[in-house]
Formats: sequence, structure tokens, C-alpha cells
Amino acid sequence: MRVVRVLFALGMWSALCACAPIEPWVKPYEREHLADPIMSFNRDPISSVYLEHVFGTREGAHGATGAAGGGCGCN
Amino acid sequence: MKHRIAGLAALLIALPVLAAIAPNTAAPDFTLSAQSGKPVALTQYKGQVVMLNFWASWCGPCRQEMPLLDSIYKKYNKVGFTMIGVNVEPDPKAANDWLKQTPVSFPILYDTDSKVSTLYGVAGMPSTVIIDRKGNVRMIHRGYKPGDEEEYLSSIRSLMRE
Repeated sequence: MRVVRVLFALGMWSALCACAPIEPWVKPYEREHLADPIMSFNRDPISSVYLEHVFGTREGAHGATGAAGGGCGCN
Repeated sequence: MKHRIAGLAALLIALPVLAAIAPNTAAPDFTLSAQSGKPVALTQYKGQVVMLNFWASWCGPCRQEMPLLDSIYKKYNKVGFTMIGVNVEPDPKAANDWLKQTPVSFPILYDTDSKVSTLYGVAGMPSTVIIDRKGNVRMIHRGYKPGDEEEYLSSIRSLMRE
């Protein structure tokens, strides 16, 4: 009986682990490759800001085009 | 028994959350190897005001604040203050190349397996933690914008007077 309980607790634990609050999957200190300028869609930061604004207002699209501040998760 | 299992399960779920540090709690100790290859422990700086700075050579704001941090270190090092630069890169080669161009006088430690970054729950780059003479975390600062060094300085000055 005790074994069943322990197994149940372990099962619950592994199942509930997935319910942890969603965090950025890549930690700020692991963004070496993401922060590389080659990872940006557009080489011109001013142009990409305008494009993002256009996408935001027209399509309700937001984010996922890289990170502000050099992609280091500082803002 | 039921309560014990429930408690254990709750603890296991909460564990990842407990990893980060909070102000006014003891700063977790760590040992990392320095540029010279010698291991450096946080406890050996007990009695001094310590500023931990988590940085990487790929992080623009980190590169921007390094010379400013160096000037803070040079100014207050003789009066019971120390700065520790924790480099978070898995391969410190890029950091070393960058340091050759922009040398700093404070010790740089290499956290190649991100153990200390995880321990301190680094939530932004750069991250700065200021620790008082008793070894307690007093200030956590995320990111860097020009002008933030004034915040570091006022915190350091008030902790030095304690």
C-alpha cells in the first residue's frame, strides 16, 4: 500500500511539474547565440521597430521578433 | 503519512522557485576559478562590501558598464570594497579576447557551467548583486542603462558606512 502511495506521489509530482509557471525557456545567461546580431530578422534596428509597429497595429502581432536591448533579456 | 507525502510533493514542485535569492538573506556561497586558475570563494571576502556582476562578452550593456565598474572598483577597493565579475559564458575565450582590449583590474571568475547563475537566479544580463559586510544580499539590480552606476554607488557608499 505504501509503495502505491509513494508511486502515486511521484506520478503526481511528475505530472504537476508541467504546471509550473511558464518561464523563458532560455535563461538570460544562456542567450549567447540568440544575442548574436545574425539572429535578427532585419539588420536595420530602426526599420525593424517601424515594421514591428505596423504588424502590431494591423495584425495584432506582438513580440517573437527578438529581444530589446541587444537580446540579453535586460529589459 | 498523507501529509508528509503532500508536503514532499509541494516542496518538490516549489524547488525551482526557491533557487533565486532575495534581499536581506544570506548570499549563497560559491567557489569558481579565476583568470589565474586559482579557485576564489565568496566567503574569503567576508567583512568587505562585495559587488557581484554577472556579465558576458555578447551582452552590449555589460560591455558598456565594465569600464565604469572598473573605476568604481579602483576608487573604493582600498577602503573595504571588492568587485567580482562573474562571466557566464560556457567558453570564456570570447570574454578573454574582449578583456584584452578592455582590461579591468577586478577579479573575473568563470561560471562555465552556469552553476552560480542558477544559484543566484540571474534574471537579466547584466545582473548586479551587492552584498554587505556580514554576507547578506542587499541589492539586486537587473540590466544596465546609463545612469544606473549612480544607484550602485549610493548603495555601496551606504553599505560601507555600516
